[in-house]
Amino acid sequence: MRTAYKVLAYLVAAEVAVQAIVMVWGIAGLGKWVDGGGVLDKAVFEEAMGSGGMPFPEFAGLLVHGINGMFVVPLIALVLLIVSFFTKVRGAIKWAAIVFALVVAQGQIGFLGHEFPLAGALHGLNALVLFGTAFYAGRRLRAAAAPAAVEHEQASTATPV
Amino acid sequence: MIGHSRHPTHRGAKTGSPRLLRVVLPVLATVAIVAPLGWLWQASRVPAVYSVMEMGYLDYGGGAVSNPGGGGHGGHMEGHGPGHDMAPSRLVTDMVADPARPADVRVELVTRQQMLSVGGQSVPGFTVNGTSPGPEIRARQGQLVEVQLRNESVTDGVTLHWHGVDVPNAMDGVAGVTQDAVPVGGSFTYRFVAEQVGSYWYHSHQVSNPQVAGGLLGSLVVTPRAGIAQQVDVSAVAHTYGGVRTINGNAEDLRVPARPAQRVRVRVSNTDNGPMKIWTTGSYRLLAVDGTEVHQPTEVTGRSVTLTAGARADLEVKAPSDGAAVRVQLSKATAVIIGPPGADTAVPPQPADELDLLSYGTPAALGFDPAQATRQFDYRIGRRPGFVKGRPGMWWSINGHLYPNVPMYVVREGDVAVVHIDNRSGEVHPMHLHGHHVVVLARNGVAATGSPWWVDSLNVLADQTYDIAFVADNPGIWMDHCHNLKHAAQGMIAHLMYDGVDTPYRIAGPADNQPE
Repeated sequence: MRTAYKVLAYLVAAEVAVQAIVMVWGIAGLGKWVDGGGVLDKAVFEEAMGSGGMPFPEFAGLLVHGINGMFVVPLIALVLLIVSFFTKVRGAIKWAAIVFALVVAQGQIGFLGHEFPLAGALHGLNALVLFGTAFYAGRRLRAAAAPAAVEHEQASTATPV
Repeated sequence: MIGHSRHPTHRGAKTGSPRLLRVVLPVLATVAIVAPLGWLWQASRVPAVYSVMEMGYLDYGGGAVSNPGGGGHGGHMEGHGPGHDMAPSRLVTDMVADPARPADVRVELVTRQQMLSVGGQSVPGFTVNGTSPGPEIRARQGQLVEVQLRNESVTDGVTLHWHGVDVPNAMDGVAGVTQDAVPVGGSFTYRFVAEQVGSYWYHSHQVSNPQVAGGLLGSLVVTPRAGIAQQVDVSAVAHTYGGVRTINGNAEDLRVPARPAQRVRVRVSNTDNGPMKIWTTGSYRLLAVDGTEVHQPTEVTGRSVTLTAGARADLEVKAPSDGAAVRVQLSKATAVIIGPPGADTAVPPQPADELDLLSYGTPAALGFDPAQATRQFDYRIGRRPGFVKGRPGMWWSINGHLYPNVPMYVVREGDVAVVHIDNRSGEVHPMHLHGHHVVVLARNGVAATGSPWWVDSLNVLADQTYDIAFVADNPGIWMDHCHNLKHAAQGMIAHLMYDGVDTPYRIAGPADNQPE
């Protein structure tokens, strides 16, 4: 369960990185397309979101961001939370719950950004917080699991009593 | 390996009950998370076959309540059969144009599924009589239009919905509500009297999200008996195929020859899923909105018209007397260029302001009194996480409910209904009520002061409210949905039913009816 916990926590962090990568990739593609005379408005946007007729190839980045953010990341965070119940390490549940809460908040802030662009700015900031938290959640497990490793001194300090 | 003996799993063996707790608690916590999700998932699933009459809950809007057993709602699907003590219920199939009257305009439309060539690209789509858009149907006011639809090769089946025309219910073309989808090799005949003058369009209402996006549509124009005042009359159907913006199916600008000083009526239809801005070189008059004439429209300069998904606008522009051209921009991407052959002009800058139809034109009689409304409905649009048809996601809600647990608005013939639309979903929605025209009374609580603003497709922005009214004068079962057809497919569909009307058709079932 510890391994699963670690993998899932790191996966959340990796997914946050993917989200940043595909978003900026998509926006860069949009910029280039507009530079070449492309016109993006609601009709083109909806067409691209709906039937997959993509105005420029990097639009895929925006689609991936949406699917990842709405389904994949919440699912990983939820599984992490469930796995944490079975991970007998102090604080594992707490940090998994924090990661899950940040993921839920991230989604809600993201959708809020459709209406209030400033929420989009917060979405970007919260992504960094989520990345750091998920990474830490995975790392502290490694420390907690270290008794199985050579560093016994560190292990004894991290072992819950 | 000293640390290994101090492994935390060692500690659980101290007493029996903490150990049991350590096993049971995580399982309980897991169940506490998974069970509600499972229940929500299960509850959101829809039967393999169902009637829209069984969907959601009845909303009488404070008006008269149905006779018990009437209408067939909530498991009373056999309610129109004999042996029930109730008002005789009618079927949607009863609502037809006079069958004895011969047709004045007769059209055959053949639908095919094929590749389309758009702007040098090849995209999968649909054609009507070999083209997309299909042929424009023109009728004079009062003529009986008869359209024979034949489906040659659209595998999912097709229907035709006459968007904006308040046809008899049986002719509304909604698969699973007013008819079965027409399978490959099948046909269906639509008949209606073109009483309403104006610009309309037709499109499939079977699997409508991909079929309309793929071009299964065309224009329908009803001209007044006395003709129109403009010398040139042109339709511009805006559609996006595979990311390519077009007018009347062409990726190039639409050139309309006009002599100097001639007045041109440009009938713009937005057949896409999102709102579109229209603006012109110089000035224009907005003659009609969704087919209905604006009362005393004034000349407009420096403002754009917002045309929501499914909506139409008739603009009057004048070809300059010096022989130059004018442009009617349908967004920045495409334009109608009016003037002598070969003439063109610079793209006019997109105005920052838009024409406010709440105060455009001058007031006129509505023909009914909204203050005497007998039904008051709410149509609150939200967005929340949940399950629809067993799929997780962020879904559109209507009055807090997700599809199919949405309201069924109930009216009786002769009712005056007002609807309060409140969009709290964070995104724009083009709201479309079938079979009726609604008049805007107020937006964000500010009363309308211009020409009666009649619409069938209303652009409701995030955080906007609209108060609209209509007269219940067209019995049947009518969709009341978002015309961003992707949103409709995601469950943003309610219905308006007349008390005592039932449908023999079913969603899904043998005909595989899927109106969205």
